[in-house]
Amino acid sequence: MKSDALRGHLDALLLATLDGGQLHGYAIIEALQRRSGGALDLPTGTVYPALRRLETAGLVASEWSTVGGRQRRTYRLTKAGQRALAAERTAWRDFTTAIEGVLGGGPWPAQA
Amino acid sequence: MAGAGVIDDYVTALDRRLRGPDPVKDDLLAEARDSLHDAAAAHRDDGLTEEDAQRRAVAEFGPVTAIAREYQGLLGLAHGARTLRSVMLVIPLAYVMWELNRRFWIGAWQDFDAPPPDWYLVVARFNDTSAWLVAGVAVLALLVGRRLARTAVSTLTLARLAGAVAVVAVGVSLLGNVAILAATAYLDATRLLTSPPVAAATVLSFVIALRLAVLARRCVVFSSV
Repeated sequence: MKSDALRGHLDALLLATLDGGQLHGYAIIEALQRRSGGALDLPTGTVYPALRRLETAGLVASEWSTVGGRQRRTYRLTKAGQRALAAERTAWRDFTTAIEGVLGGGPWPAQA
Repeated sequence: MAGAGVIDDYVTALDRRLRGPDPVKDDLLAEARDSLHDAAAAHRDDGLTEEDAQRRAVAEFGPVTAIAREYQGLLGLAHGARTLRSVMLVIPLAYVMWELNRRFWIGAWQDFDAPPPDWYLVVARFNDTSAWLVAGVAVLALLVGRRLARTAVSTLTLARLAGAVAVVAVGVSLLGNVAILAATAYLDATRLLTSPPVAAATVLSFVIALRLAVLARRCVVFSSV
């Protein structure tokens, strides 16, 4: 899956990745690749500016901390980030339900 | 080891393309370097040589030109937000300090032999209002920028917007300062020198305004790629 297809969803994907707890940057990239079955193919360097933009927006917070004996910047969801993620999930489920209804291949309703 | 500096070369190339506040830039580059070394370590564990692991990590990170553009947006935005915060705090503070100083050392302008004409009061009112107006605009811009950061608007666009607001805000503030100074000199130049402490406060206000103008100009420089 190429980066152009992901561009509109990157923020939501990053928020969802941080839903389980705080992670450092490369762990976020690994989690994205693992949870997508390796289908997400985007320049990893674009993840960091996106994370910092989300921090500017108040949706994530970050700090330098020691992980595995190394200093790393770790990110976590803020309360506003949790609310934004919940809204993204609702919008995504509504969208996929609507698209599945058309593309899913089920029978068309009988004509009146 | 041949190629062991692939990551260092990449980070150096990225560094050369970026302009902005050093602490923010150092922080961004440190994070990028860490991530690249993490990726290279993962590839080494998969059996690649050190050089191949670093080359693959760099390739996955993205072309320097494209990545630098996104990082430059962050640097421009960080500087723009800093400048707007300075405008929000420093301009009203400088105005209040100057006014308190003037009231303590000089008193009301009407206490002079000849009360100032109406046009002078208009200029004075503009100067008084501009300090609070630009501070309000800076607060609004920071709030709107925070909102826009949650949308698909790029950091580079946000940085340019912050820079434009900062330039206009500082320009209006400087205009207010220059206008009241020129009007006072035209009306009665001796009033400018009535009180050395007030004259010093006036000079300080101009130094502050010029410093803010430099910061505003850098907003434009840092948000261009």
